[in-house]
Amino acid sequence: MVQPAQFDTFTLERAFAAPLTRVYRAFSNPGEKKRWFAEGSQHEIEQYDMRFEVGGHELARYRFKPGTPFAGVTLESDGYFLDIVPQHRIVTAATMAMGERRFSASLHTFEFFGDGPDATRMLFTHQAMYAEGADGPELRRTGWLQLLDQLHAVLAVE
Amino acid sequence: MKHLGAMQADAADQVFAALGDATRRAIVRLVAEGPQSVSSLAAALEVTLTAISQHLRILQTCGLLQTRKVGRVRMCELDDQGLEVLAHWVAFNRRMWEQRFDALDAMLKDKADGT
Repeated sequence: MVQPAQFDTFTLERAFAAPLTRVYRAFSNPGEKKRWFAEGSQHEIEQYDMRFEVGGHELARYRFKPGTPFAGVTLESDGYFLDIVPQHRIVTAATMAMGERRFSASLHTFEFFGDGPDATRMLFTHQAMYAEGADGPELRRTGWLQLLDQLHAVLAVE
Repeated sequence: MKHLGAMQADAADQVFAALGDATRRAIVRLVAEGPQSVSSLAAALEVTLTAISQHLRILQTCGLLQTRKVGRVRMCELDDQGLEVLAHWVAFNRRMWEQRFDALDAMLKDKADGT
């Protein structure tokens, strides 16, 4: 049974102690982006590819390590660059899937502001549609119970 | 909350382990609709009182369920603690991005001198 989609928007703002050109390189260079975007202690990276141009593809595929709550489960982020204004703005659209189940589709907007020679402010806006198999910030119990069943269905596949 | 602490991951583990059992999921589903007595749960799920008590204990330990005495009847209710633990897990995107930007921050600091 298909549940109604849920929507959520959040913003994160960060100040980095580095020049704007340096911060921007961490977003535009595939090797640099992989380091902060894809690496993590809870998962192995099975694949990370990105082509930094409008229409370029970005695919990240992980598998959670043993001992983590989703051990053995894959997580895949599959997206495209929609808009690039060098040193100012990057917009991507991506879906997230756990196991074989896609649970969100989202628009990510990164805006960069130089605040001095060694200071860069970044504003990240995350606008998302959460499908069944996920839940937005309004965790209603009914939706939550269904989510549990779906999580277990995903885990049972492994 | 920028990092997922070890404590929280352990708590989530317990919740997932508890819910790995179909009978316990059925109990959670029943009490989510409203408080239930132990005997009515046993009757609804067609299991013995002994068996249901063992399941209830596991659900209580991980914070998914709480019980209270009403006269001589023990009533079971959903406990928000366990829900909170999972709420953190499914608020997936935000936490993931927080961690990514922490990593970016660390990377930029790391290279600040050399580049």
